Amino acid sequence: MALSGRSGRSRSTLVLLVLVSVTVITLDFRGGGVIASLRRSAADALTPVQEAADAVVGPVGDAVRGVTRSGALEEENDELRARISELEGEALRGADAEAELDQVLELRGLSSFTDLPTVSARVIGTTPSNFEQTIQLDVGTGEGVAEDMPVLTGAGLAGRVVDVSRTRSIVRLVSDQTSAVGVRLPSGDLGVAEGGGPGRPLELGLVDPATVVAPGELVVTSGIDDSVFPGGIPVGRVERVAAPAQGVLEQEVVVAPVVDLDRLRFAEVLRTEPSS
Amino acid sequence: MTLATRLPPLLLAALVLHTAVLPQLRVLGVAPDLLLALGIATGIAAGSDRGAVVGFVAGLLADCFLQTPFGLSALCYSLVGYAVGSVQATILHATRWISVATAILASAAGVTLFAVLGTVLGSDELLGGRLPRVAVVVALLNGLLVVVVAPVVRWATVPDVTNRAVLR
Repeated sequence: MALSGRSGRSRSTLVLLVLVSVTVITLDFRGGGVIASLRRSAADALTPVQEAADAVVGPVGDAVRGVTRSGALEEENDELRARISELEGEALRGADAEAELDQVLELRGLSSFTDLPTVSARVIGTTPSNFEQTIQLDVGTGEGVAEDMPVLTGAGLAGRVVDVSRTRSIVRLVSDQTSAVGVRLPSGDLGVAEGGGPGRPLELGLVDPATVVAPGELVVTSGIDDSVFPGGIPVGRVERVAAPAQGVLEQEVVVAPVVDLDRLRFAEVLRTEPSS
Repeated sequence: MTLATRLPPLLLAALVLHTAVLPQLRVLGVAPDLLLALGIATGIAAGSDRGAVVGFVAGLLADCFLQTPFGLSALCYSLVGYAVGSVQATILHATRWISVATAILASAAGVTLFAVLGTVLGSDELLGGRLPRVAVVVALLNGLLVVVVAPVVRWATVPDVTNRAVLR
């Protein structure tokens, strides 16, 4: 009897908890301000702890990775030296092209994304989720950060701000499976770079089969229409192109992000106009 | 100390570890789910009633730091905590290995349930090719975590009288 009474109480508790959960989910879907405020307050409260934990655990994690990868590091160093020489040459050619671009933009009365103000930020945490690809920055509305602002590194686009509180912001990386960035190929053709998930390259959608795409080509944000990203921000380099199968109306193009998304430590938030 | 004073600090400590420390210690790109493990360990130690309640609160805390629908983790973790407590009640002589095996199976079920319900609610990306790897790695890591977490959970969720009886 006692066991059956306890079991009945457990079932009632479970039913109550399920009902509360469903109500909370419904409120969140309706865009209730209470849920958003709750999330932001919890995140704000934990920001100092996360910063402290990052300071303590970050170096430990780096040290462990350093020891376990010591053999590969020498090889990686040689590769990086070769890459630096290559990039120095590219930078010289790029400076010339940039000067020309500035002149053209000036003539047409247009501005480049490099003219926009930025907010420097430190990455203070990654998501506890195993499905999302987001990071947390130590800047928030207090520093003028707002939702939908693009987040960059020196190399190019890292992602965009999807949630912001007073002291921190959540950035959805371009590799997140729900991320989609409008991009432009060197040929001028447009496409959409969709995140492939953790450790996977981006997939370029909506590329016409007739478009000529070559591995190594730089893909930049298109900046067309109502895109939250200004045009011209490097997103990635074409890694692989596969001929479209019979009857398929788009090419299969795989793009490697130009930003090393696994080792982000610092970033710049581009202060574009907040979307309405 | 009463149960009401022991549980909040345990949940807070678990939240800090879950959001600030464990995401940096990933295996094959997957982090353990300490808050899910907490609900499971409570179900094992204190039964289905408390397993469901602790799972629910732990899930709500987890939801504060996710972009998925708020309440989804709370729903899944409370169901898992309840199920674990119900299964545990049928076992006459629970050993540590049975607890670990229960935690492994329950964690895999919890991750899968989260992905399935999330997909039903519109987060289509959860049910992708990554799910099997996430479910397996989380299950194994949580199996290890439960060994460490179980004594603390027992202290926080089981009344002193019962604990003393168990120790004798």
